[in-house]
Amino acid sequence: MIAANTIDARPVPACSVASLQEAIERHVRYSLGKLWRDLSPRELFVAVALACRDRMVERMLETEERYRRGDLKRLYYLSIEFLPGQYLGNNLLNLGIREQCGEALRNLGADLDEIESSEPDLALGNGGLGRLAACLLDSLATLGLPGYGYGINYEYGLFKQEIDRGYQREKPENWLGQGTPWQIARPDKACVVPIRGRIEHSVDRRGGYNPMWMDWKVLMGIPYDVPIVGFGGQTVNFLRLYSARSSHGFDMRIFNAGDYFKAVEQKIASETVSKVLYPPDAPGAGYELRLAQEYFLAACALRDIVRRFEQGHKDCRDLGAHVAIQLNDTHPALAVAELMRILIDEKNLEWDEAWAVTQATVAYTNHTLAPEALEKWPVALLEAVVPRHLQIILEINRRLLDRVSGVWPGHTGLLRRMSIIEESEPKQVRMAHLAMAGSHAINGVSRIHTEAIKTSLAPDYFELWPDRFHNVTNGISPRRWLLRANPALAALITAAIGDAWITDLPRLKALERYAEDSAFRTEFRAVKRANKEKLARIIQELHIRVDPDSLFDVHVKRIHAYKRQLLNVFHIVDEYLALIEDGRQPAAPRVYIFAGKAAPGYWFAQQVIKLIHNVGRVINTDPRAHSWIKVVFLPDYRVSLAEQIVPAADLSEQISTAGTEASGTGNMKMALNGAVTIGTLDGATIEIREAVGAENMFVFGLTAAQVRAAREPCTYRPWEHYERDPRVKRVVDVLSSNLFCSEEPALFEWVRKCVLNGNDEHFHLADFRSYADAQGKVGQSFGEADRWTRMSILNVARTGPFSSDRTVLEYARDIWGVQAPSQSIACK
Amino acid sequence: MEMAIDRIGDVAAVAVPVDELDAGNASELKRDIAPVLQANTKVVLDLSRVRFMDSSGLGAMLSCLRQLTAKKGDLKLCGMSKQVRGAFELVRLHRIFDIYPGKAEAVLAFQSKPTGVL
Repeated sequence: MIAANTIDARPVPACSVASLQEAIERHVRYSLGKLWRDLSPRELFVAVALACRDRMVERMLETEERYRRGDLKRLYYLSIEFLPGQYLGNNLLNLGIREQCGEALRNLGADLDEIESSEPDLALGNGGLGRLAACLLDSLATLGLPGYGYGINYEYGLFKQEIDRGYQREKPENWLGQGTPWQIARPDKACVVPIRGRIEHSVDRRGGYNPMWMDWKVLMGIPYDVPIVGFGGQTVNFLRLYSARSSHGFDMRIFNAGDYFKAVEQKIASETVSKVLYPPDAPGAGYELRLAQEYFLAACALRDIVRRFEQGHKDCRDLGAHVAIQLNDTHPALAVAELMRILIDEKNLEWDEAWAVTQATVAYTNHTLAPEALEKWPVALLEAVVPRHLQIILEINRRLLDRVSGVWPGHTGLLRRMSIIEESEPKQVRMAHLAMAGSHAINGVSRIHTEAIKTSLAPDYFELWPDRFHNVTNGISPRRWLLRANPALAALITAAIGDAWITDLPRLKALERYAEDSAFRTEFRAVKRANKEKLARIIQELHIRVDPDSLFDVHVKRIHAYKRQLLNVFHIVDEYLALIEDGRQPAAPRVYIFAGKAAPGYWFAQQVIKLIHNVGRVINTDPRAHSWIKVVFLPDYRVSLAEQIVPAADLSEQISTAGTEASGTGNMKMALNGAVTIGTLDGATIEIREAVGAENMFVFGLTAAQVRAAREPCTYRPWEHYERDPRVKRVVDVLSSNLFCSEEPALFEWVRKCVLNGNDEHFHLADFRSYADAQGKVGQSFGEADRWTRMSILNVARTGPFSSDRTVLEYARDIWGVQAPSQSIACK
Repeated sequence: MEMAIDRIGDVAAVAVPVDELDAGNASELKRDIAPVLQANTKVVLDLSRVRFMDSSGLGAMLSCLRQLTAKKGDLKLCGMSKQVRGAFELVRLHRIFDIYPGKAEAVLAFQSKPTGVL
């Protein structure tokens, strides 16, 4: 285990109550141009955020100067998604000025909690990928490491989910509509991004081949910086988000052009590139625009990274010694081709030199196991959008295949498998292969996932370059997911073992002995109950009354077949039928809590949402089930809602089909907040089990190896489960009947087809009985309050390895080679 | 587009009189500079005033060069801002043009080198 840096938690300057009060009043008057009495709640939030931002900016400038003086290697984290959620509370906590700010606002007659909760989420991501990126940025700043996020400033983030008669309705989330106080525009650092056009083959003045990229359109990438403050307030890095704009010249032409409307249409088209965040599970939607977005991110980021490098260094051959670029999945993989283009076309490096620099600089994180989920782009589309990059990719591929032929002569099958170009119809560029070829390090995000990359996803690449493959298990920010999300538990822990855990999470281990302390257990239970009461009040807004003494069984994450919300519904219906038909009461009253968004156009996931609502409506209104079972779907799952749900969870549902979840981070958040896991041996849940002890969680189901075996043709026979097990049969029959859809008969017939199909890739029926048995044990354990609380405390105490601080330190040591400035430099 | 032409010996030095050379005015530049290209074989284009150039502007530069080289002449460029230089590098046009910091150097280069390279 890597030790975290000791954080010097000196308060930031000018953070007294009086100075904060003065700053808030000043921003009300001079930034917003308002009198206090006329302020709207949003304007008050903006004024407080600006007062907070002032203090962050001061430290950001200091931080940059510190890095510059130390000539430190920088890390640039390229991600198509960032999902920070709300910033105000987090920033005040990390700056160490939340109490002062609260007092300043009380003096002004306002309430900080209310203001914090009024902040709209920054939802520039769909789920785990973007949230991971946000947690890593928090850790980079907390550890004092020079690391920056680069992304897209989507005008419309992830859609807002509303529920209409059980159906998901997607509403646009124009989060930038009223502006955001966190961003600082940097028009002086705008970059020109050429796109489309054609290659004109010519010779240069020395007679060499000179492909010229002609007739391109131009996009302007305008950066907006969001300061990222680390805990202790000593380091403030930034997240740089790019908006696409048409060029100034283009804007001017609109006023001079004869065809005004055509000109305006073209302007709008170029600005569309950063308009909307795409969901991950909607095949075909906005296909070409998505590629343009990926290129736009790679081009803006690389242009800026090289510009920043050249401010202090002359020779691009040294780039890898001073810069590390991490690709968060394949979406920014065009960065490999873009960096090669810059080095060869603009910096005049020879191919081999440029390739060595690129590989020394770039690293790639894989986030998916399913081959069908790996990104591919048609060659013809790449040629249309980025013709020069396609040329470079083809040359990278030619050299790669030459190398493979040299190592393993005569293996045409191997060449076909490893090629960056898939010889399909149409031909496609495999972005993961491009990313792997161009990187010095390739990592998976949990141990089982990394092994799967080596053995099944990219075994040929692993054989060629075994030293390039690493595992870096994902992590979560303890500041966001305990200190901020669960202040009462954080205070209880701090009172028991001190506050060093905030920046050194393995110190939570010291809590283990408190599991045997009955007074502590009582306090721990009281904290959990208070969190559950709070969540119960949120649930009551849906007109569902739940008992906080019930077991809160929480399944919150993107709605997807592999995450198996359907399996959870099977268990609910099984419990309900056992109660009303067999008279068998559950071991403990339970509230089943779901939340999550389904990608627009993903029919199955949308149907699962409808099913959960309909099952809930029947059960919640059945007096026979009244005190035993409640089913709740909380709409519009987002970071700020997760911060309410996670601290209130008793049971954490991590029930993906084994071998499908790369890591998961919801599993970590829940365990850190004392939820006990019921789960399959999948992703990081395996490592959580090792850390917290098998006796402190409930494991069930097929293993990844068993799932692989069951996927062999004609192996899986769901009908046998159906015919052999009357509970399985009853649940399937009832779910497919009209019991839960009397107003829309036959609505859920798909359930039977889905689970009785030998092609059910998620083995619902194979895992059902094992899941139901594990749930039975959960119910019994929850009924023994002391035993359950001990398990819960031990989950908290042993979640230390899952801090994103550990994740970042492993990346820094094994892949990036970045270090924090020495303390002497920091204190100058 | 009104262009000032400075004759230095047998070299015609033309200052491009716009801040932005793009799809909106590249055709105009090509049209208005055509008589200069017809009447001369040694031409310097002074881009000191130009702050932005898109692919149409770059295309116009290439067209001028090709017209001159077709008749064994040459075009030299000077006075490029960092941004315009960046646009040339972006598409590898800097590899086929002779580019000089100032007009005097560009004119001098004609006197020391034979023309007609492309």
